[in-house]
Amino acid sequence: MGLRWFHFAAWGLFALGLALLPELVSKGTLRTLIFANYLAIFAISWDLLSGRTGYISFGHPFLIGIGAYTSAILTKRFGVEVEIAIPIAVIVTMIAGLIVLLPALRIRGSYFALVTLAFMELMYQLVQVIRPDLTGGTRGMSGIQTLTRGAVNGFYLSSVLMFVIAVAAWLLLRTRIGTALTALGLNESAVEGSGLSTTKLKMFAFMASAFVAGLGGAFYVHYLGSIAPRALFDINFVFTIIVAVLIGGASTIVGPIIGAFFLTFLLEYLRPFLPGAERYFIYGGIALLLYMYQPKGIYAMVMKAWHSLHERATK
Amino acid sequence: MSYLEIKSLSAYYGKAQALSDISLSVEKGEIIAIVGANGAGKSTLLDSIMGLVRQTGQIDFDGSVISGKSTSNIVKSGIGYAPERFNLFPYMSVKDNLLVGAFTAKADTAANLSQVYSLFPRLAERETQETATQSGGERQMVSLGRALMTSPNLLLVDEPTIGLAPKVCQEIAVSLRRMRDDFGLTVVITEQNANFAMTLAERIYVLEAGKMQVEGTVEDLRKDNRLIEAYFGT
Repeated sequence: MGLRWFHFAAWGLFALGLALLPELVSKGTLRTLIFANYLAIFAISWDLLSGRTGYISFGHPFLIGIGAYTSAILTKRFGVEVEIAIPIAVIVTMIAGLIVLLPALRIRGSYFALVTLAFMELMYQLVQVIRPDLTGGTRGMSGIQTLTRGAVNGFYLSSVLMFVIAVAAWLLLRTRIGTALTALGLNESAVEGSGLSTTKLKMFAFMASAFVAGLGGAFYVHYLGSIAPRALFDINFVFTIIVAVLIGGASTIVGPIIGAFFLTFLLEYLRPFLPGAERYFIYGGIALLLYMYQPKGIYAMVMKAWHSLHERATK
Repeated sequence: MSYLEIKSLSAYYGKAQALSDISLSVEKGEIIAIVGANGAGKSTLLDSIMGLVRQTGQIDFDGSVISGKSTSNIVKSGIGYAPERFNLFPYMSVKDNLLVGAFTAKADTAANLSQVYSLFPRLAERETQETATQSGGERQMVSLGRALMTSPNLLLVDEPTIGLAPKVCQEIAVSLRRMRDDFGLTVVITEQNANFAMTLAERIYVLEAGKMQVEGTVEDLRKDNRLIEAYFGT
């Protein structure tokens, strides 16, 4: 695994920073941070699948939406306790992850991306047409049970969730499976030639990604207390997730977190000047510039700076 | 029965037939070479043994039928594969590239790794280097090393000298011979470079347009001037 003391120190410092934030920032900023935490969870989920294996998903809200809708319907329509509804939502999302896996067994590249986009659109149409009495149709659902009250509690819950998911994913990807998944993204035929089952590896990546997406989606809907299909199954939402990963640094776990925080705050600070969708042009431009200058993202830039500082200090 | 025995093998890419009625046998501890021009079907033959191509016919290895088995099970049965042009994971370190090969190995990973490093000391020195930044010779070493990490008894190597300088080719030949002599492996290589094949292998098969044309020991082939002229050009 190659774990070193400074890895734990870095995660510990990050946890400490999160724990202290409510003392240092306003309630409004905390609410923004809650969204950053959930975006980080979705970005980690996307990165587990697409960043590692190279199967670029344009339909990730399909998985997030299944987690969110399942938990929302179970709690609101059937009166299921939220502690039971969330695990069920995660299981249902993982089953949906298997559905997304099926095309990946035969196609990849842009074809796979388009199929996943179709999954998202299909889901958007389905929740409006099939049993609107359950899904709320085009208007969605409101009055869904929330897990916390107030910005501070919401922030702590989302932070703990994001932190646990990040550390677990980080540890997982430092195992042999993580190495094999990275290899799968770089050269699938060579992985197969080395005797590894690419189908099993893909299944693992899709299940892990779906697990995180389902968990994040379920908790997110119980934070918002409402769900609207147009906001969830939206191409801008997909691009926000993908850009967060690319800006932060794909295949790194830490990168998607950095990217999610950077993007959320960028969008928030741009809001007074550009209240509409024009904001997305700005972050698109930043993503493009960053991608041209440093394709491995902010994380790689930080690590490069750290290594050069470390080298200077040891000389 | 031979250690590796291929009977009436035909292989297909979609509807196109790439190999036609190939039969071949390899004895335990041999080094054999399959020689042929580009497009002769050499890589397809190795891919067929590894179960990577749609095929008909039968392939037996160490007394068991392996045709129809998954690549994963073929590797587990003791066949290692170093594909053409190295086929590495470019942005992963040398060590991680080698470790991917170790995931299906029966033997201890550390023991396999030290075996690879003893064969290719340069890899030990550069185990943290990304393979994308390595020379062709080093990448070939990583490719062979990754195949060795699967604990094979039979090693298939696709065009080990392609694009390499003559000096590096000699290093690779020495390594392949050591794999047989020191580690008891049986080795099957494919080659366009007939001279290299003749200096390394004990027996040679000549493949042309997906069909096996000639087979014999290196000594026998050397005696036949017409054959040398037709297939080896020397």
